[in-house]
Amino acid sequence: MQNFMQILVSGISVGMIYGVIAFGYQLTFATSKTLNFGQGEALTLGALVGFSTVTFLIALGLPPLAAYILALPIVLAFGLLQGAVVERFGVRQAIKTKSEAGWIMATIALGIIFKNMAENVWGKDPLKFPSPLSEAPLTIGGVNLRPMEIAIVLGALAMMLAVEAFNRRSIYGKAVVATSNDRDAAGLMGINTPLVITFSYALSSLSAALAGVLIAPITLTGANMGAALGLKAFAVAIIGGLSSGLGVVVGGLILGITESLTGFYFDTGYKDVPGLLLLLLVLSFKPAGLFGKSAIKKV
Amino acid sequence: MLEVRNLVAGYGKVKVLHALSLHVPKGQLVTLIGSNGAGKSTTLRAVSGMIRPDSGEIMLGGRNIAGMASHDITRLGMAHSPEGRRVFPTLSVSDNVLLGAFPRLTGARSKGDVKADFDRLIDLFPKLKDRKDQLAGTLSGGEQQMLAMARALMLNPEVLLLDEPSMGLAPKLVEEVFATISRLKAAKVTMLLVEQFAAAALDVADFGYVLENGRISSSGPAESLKNDPAVRAAYLGAAH
Repeated sequence: MQNFMQILVSGISVGMIYGVIAFGYQLTFATSKTLNFGQGEALTLGALVGFSTVTFLIALGLPPLAAYILALPIVLAFGLLQGAVVERFGVRQAIKTKSEAGWIMATIALGIIFKNMAENVWGKDPLKFPSPLSEAPLTIGGVNLRPMEIAIVLGALAMMLAVEAFNRRSIYGKAVVATSNDRDAAGLMGINTPLVITFSYALSSLSAALAGVLIAPITLTGANMGAALGLKAFAVAIIGGLSSGLGVVVGGLILGITESLTGFYFDTGYKDVPGLLLLLLVLSFKPAGLFGKSAIKKV
Repeated sequence: MLEVRNLVAGYGKVKVLHALSLHVPKGQLVTLIGSNGAGKSTTLRAVSGMIRPDSGEIMLGGRNIAGMASHDITRLGMAHSPEGRRVFPTLSVSDNVLLGAFPRLTGARSKGDVKADFDRLIDLFPKLKDRKDQLAGTLSGGEQQMLAMARALMLNPEVLLLDEPSMGLAPKLVEEVFATISRLKAAKVTMLLVEQFAAAALDVADFGYVLENGRISSSGPAESLKNDPAVRAAYLGAAH
């Protein structure tokens, strides 16, 4: 039972990471019906920029936690910028010409370029990200909880709730929702919809960058860290539904937990199988995702 | 106020409008009538920037807006209540109305009293008041039409384009829509109205244009168009 709880805990923290990246997929899909297939690389870059900033600040004499907190805004700003670049150079033209597949190739290509850049700047070997919190686990009811795992869950939830609050409360957030509902009609409201799409890409990469710095302290940081995460989060986005915020959290948790359980009770070599089977099942029986809603449309 | 000169527009290689010209003077209600496929909606879409005109001039208050993006045209004071209403289904009725004032709320257009306008419009359309917090996607067709008009009026527009406001509505609701248009006319809102109910449109309008295959085939004061035998035969039905 304790083993089970232990596995559940680590499944939850990885699941929340998947959830945040998948949330990023949703953001761009909502406004533009396109996705950034370089989300994994956005995560990698976020983690590596975080690594360099934190290392630099620690070298200046700051304690790891302070360095980490100071680095966060830099990482997030970098994520925003990187996402805007992807949209401007990879996606905008494809949207303008209503190309069906142009953005797929363009975002994959940009992802590869970013990965190559990361390999050249930070090297191919994994790096050890200085942990901002104690690495000694807290024991609660016989279950070991690493403080960073708690930080992951809280950070992921905070990010998603902040975006949700922005969309519900501010006029700019409502403009984003309006653009997701009906781009042409949003344009008639005076909303600069191309800018909204750029913004959603920026926010999407910001989510990935945040996921990167959240997971970096408990994993190895390097140019290849993002690819598998990005792909699995894509599965999560499909399982949960590309239109449901709750869906990506639940989908992320399902995938994270089934992975950990399979890895422990069966064989780590098969840990990806149950999640991918689930993906295939969802695609066959509920293509809009477990929580996907078909739009309400009345003519 | 709004002057369209030699407008050519369409979808890709298919041209729908061939050198169309029309004029909407300040404070007047001008209507554009014609059969299905004549190019009425295309005219409005080109004027508000939803599609890019191929050539021609669209003057709004002395400025050529042809080829500008629709969000920039809106900021200059052109409101367009589009065909099919196009309300935002997952936002509440209040949020839909509020978004009509987006340029005013974000400094792209003079602000005035958004709150007072909101209250005034929601009083003008009592059904919206009862359903303020409901999602717009759950409204009936008639209510969505009222919402689309209220949303467009929140801009405090220089010109209001109304595309088929009566489409798909029960006769009683059509009457209600036209009563609202009369009230807006009395309030001196400059309007360009596209309608399939030509008789009702000419009853309420100051001036009318008849569109045939992308060209203006006749025009004149609404009163005289109504009595024009050719227009009567083609658009008003023999019984009139």
